[in-house]
Amino acid sequence: MAHNFKSDVAVDWCPGCGDFGILTSITQALSELNLDPKDVIATSGIGCSGKTPHYLNIAGVHTLHGRSIPFATGIKLSNPHLKVIVPGGDGDMLGIGAGHFVAEGRRNSGLTIMIFDNEVYGLTKGQAAPTMALGEKTKSLARANVFTKVNPITLALTAGYSFVARGFSFDMKQLKEIIKTAILHEGSSVIDILQPCPTYNNINTMEWYRQRVYKLEDDKSWDPVVAPGNENQIAEKFQRAYDRGSEWGDKIPTGIFYDNRTIPSFHKRLNEFVPSYYTNPPATQIVTGSDGYTPIDVEATFSEKIIH
Amino acid sequence: MDLSLTIGGPQGGGIDTSSNMINRAFAEAGYNVFGVREYHSNIKGRHSYNHLRVKEERPRSLKYPVDILVALDPDTIFEHLEDIGEGTKIIYDKSFETSDLAQARLIMRDTSKRIKETLDSSSLPNNIKGALELAKKRGGIPMAIPFSEVVTSAISEGPASRYFNTLGSAITLSIAGLEQKFAEAAIKQVFSTKPKAVEENVKVVEAAYSYAKENGFAGKVLKVLPKMKRLLLTGNDGSAMGKLMGGLRFQTYYPITPASDESSIMEEHEHLHYLQAEKSKLKEGGVVVVQTEDEISAVTMAQGAALTGSRSSTATSGPGFSLMAEGISFAGMDEVPVVITLYQRGGPSTGLPTRNGQSDLLFAMNTGHGEFPRMVISSGDVEECVYDAMRALNYAQRYQLPVIHLIDKNLANTTDLVPDIDLKKVKVNQAIRPTQTRLSFKRYSLDTENGISEMGYFGNDVFWMTGDEHDEIGHVTEDPMVRDRQMRKRFKKLETALNEIPLEEMALLLGEKNADVTFVTWGSQKGPILDVIEDLKKEGVKANLLYLKMFEPFPTDFVEEALGKAKLIINVESNMLAQAARIVKLNTGIDIQHNILKYNGRHMTEDEILKAAKEIIGGNGKKLVEVLENGA
Repeated sequence: MAHNFKSDVAVDWCPGCGDFGILTSITQALSELNLDPKDVIATSGIGCSGKTPHYLNIAGVHTLHGRSIPFATGIKLSNPHLKVIVPGGDGDMLGIGAGHFVAEGRRNSGLTIMIFDNEVYGLTKGQAAPTMALGEKTKSLARANVFTKVNPITLALTAGYSFVARGFSFDMKQLKEIIKTAILHEGSSVIDILQPCPTYNNINTMEWYRQRVYKLEDDKSWDPVVAPGNENQIAEKFQRAYDRGSEWGDKIPTGIFYDNRTIPSFHKRLNEFVPSYYTNPPATQIVTGSDGYTPIDVEATFSEKIIH
Repeated sequence: MDLSLTIGGPQGGGIDTSSNMINRAFAEAGYNVFGVREYHSNIKGRHSYNHLRVKEERPRSLKYPVDILVALDPDTIFEHLEDIGEGTKIIYDKSFETSDLAQARLIMRDTSKRIKETLDSSSLPNNIKGALELAKKRGGIPMAIPFSEVVTSAISEGPASRYFNTLGSAITLSIAGLEQKFAEAAIKQVFSTKPKAVEENVKVVEAAYSYAKENGFAGKVLKVLPKMKRLLLTGNDGSAMGKLMGGLRFQTYYPITPASDESSIMEEHEHLHYLQAEKSKLKEGGVVVVQTEDEISAVTMAQGAALTGSRSSTATSGPGFSLMAEGISFAGMDEVPVVITLYQRGGPSTGLPTRNGQSDLLFAMNTGHGEFPRMVISSGDVEECVYDAMRALNYAQRYQLPVIHLIDKNLANTTDLVPDIDLKKVKVNQAIRPTQTRLSFKRYSLDTENGISEMGYFGNDVFWMTGDEHDEIGHVTEDPMVRDRQMRKRFKKLETALNEIPLEEMALLLGEKNADVTFVTWGSQKGPILDVIEDLKKEGVKANLLYLKMFEPFPTDFVEEALGKAKLIINVESNMLAQAARIVKLNTGIDIQHNILKYNGRHMTEDEILKAAKEIIGGNGKKLVEVLENGA
């Protein structure tokens, strides 16, 4: 029987929360990719989005606020054969964890990062998140937001992410397909997911988004992929992705902005220095000799320290 | 033979190369060398020095005054006036004699002011001539050498100053009476990959030896001892080596002094060599070392790796360790086997970033919010760094918790000649993975007597983890009963550890059982105190040492017994609050009254501990705290 990727834990998100659509899209994507549940790990941060791993029937770590990326990177680098998905909030990824978010773009270790983007900190009663626009005043705020917003798409692009996309939690068909492509992408991917918070964000509602979103792929000439051998397309496709990624307001694009398959993953980079890395990564190495002691030849490994 | 020397010069001026040469030259002749490196937080120019001691048997401490002071710049003479005593030979370039203290702009302003006051109080001019006069008054013997002339007699190309370090070292070796061939052999090792450098530096060695001979500096020829194979290691090397031997395959770090050397050493040895007998049985392997964006990432990324079954660790120093607090709390809550090697330097805040300190013990015991079990261990010499690093990984795996391994800066930067690394001293246990996938695996099973639940592995098992309190499969719970049971289960592991771990890995009583004086210490004071105990014995005072290695869990019964019988207890630490003594009191109720403390960032030396101990012993217990101040 096919594995049920939805766990039996009762979901306690608010009725009407955009997170439900993301959860369904993830479970469907995992099912359709026919992945072995033991080979997929979810790591999350803190907040409503942080609960996602508990609702998935795969191994999961509900980590610290903002730290899901380094946990995920550790898992992925120690065992590159695992798939690691990283559901997190806009505060997790672009506020408290922004340093990790940028660093992972530089690493490209093969994580699938999903930003649950609702512009508010829901679980602490609706404070402004890094994606909320300057001057916006949702009903939970005592005064209008005094920060300008960060753009997850253009930030991801400039941080070096090799796959950058946006989904909308009420378009599960498109979101599921984006997640599938992202999971199969060798490097790290970012999916900004527009996800209305019905309790605290009375401005960016489901209706508000529905009136504005349009799909990049509806333009038949849109092709975000840079395949190996086509490195000469990078500058142009990056710029197009950046321009579309900068659109916001009356029209908000969704779909895949950029899919660059020419940037070597972190594994490939590590494998250059440790040639056994991919075939015998840290997680599978035998560290005990047949007598129960170290199998390492210390003098051969540290030969330059020896004085004869 | 018991030779103490200091070689000083500008940071970046080849001081380490000099020490390496001196170490290797004496080692070639069968002698033992022990040293420590002192430096500023600076890349080039400020004063740095190596303090060394050479003996037939292995030295384990350093002492002042030194027998030879090698000054590769004028600053060194000013900085080390206090290290000069009866018979100290001061080797320096004759050209320094025209230098003024006011020109020595890179001496810290306060230090310069104090040197000025010292010279003024003896009515001496504020220049090198004045400083050398003062040195003479203190029994020092200035030995001016025309550095440039000697170098150019051997090498005509390039700036002569490039070879001053080799020259100074070679003159030192000649004064010590070491035969020239050993100095040349050392040069060949130090510059092994650069044949031209070997050739040139050997010429400088020849010129130095000839000069010393012609001018009557050369010492009486030292006897040559049987040569042995040894490893020239620092504390950083020891920890890196121990980790790799101990099965570490994933290390993270963010650059910080004095911790990052450990990770750099691992990066240099990523590719592991296996013993002949294991080669056919094991697939080739290596260690992954990742430089992270910050220490928060370092401690959490290491945990991510641990969840897949890798033995995993990170290394840091005070400021980075502070950033790791929340992550360590997670490792305690979620029972993640991870080792954090904490290289202690002078705090608080940035403090003395390149200087010694032992002020993070209480912090290591309490890092992170909430109550969770952890282990805190400490090493006191280079070999201990090796074996304790292995044990730390074993403890982490066995008890599934964060293990904090304390190494002080002094030890990190100690160089020691280690006769042998015993591959059979510490076992390395392989994590046993299940052969089948376990869905909804009870990773936090409460069905355990000793608090240890079976480890689960990502890639094999499906279970959950959360920083929240959790049920047996790792889902969030706020149930009061499960909370109580999980708390008790986690802490039970510390009791189990205390029962299982051999006492000698926790604390040792070194020296005679019945003594008049019992020292208490931890970390790098071990060696100097053992030497002080020998010194006191010669003076008819019987002393021993309660040497602490594990602070959590704490060997309360043993410590209580050892200190309960003690007549006079003197606690020795490199901090201001006598932190280990506080932990002793917390666990045993024994309040140690007498402390020898040092917090100026410099290493403790045999002579100053001896002097302070005698003050306490001779003072009928009236003087409670002796604060040590040695060191430039």
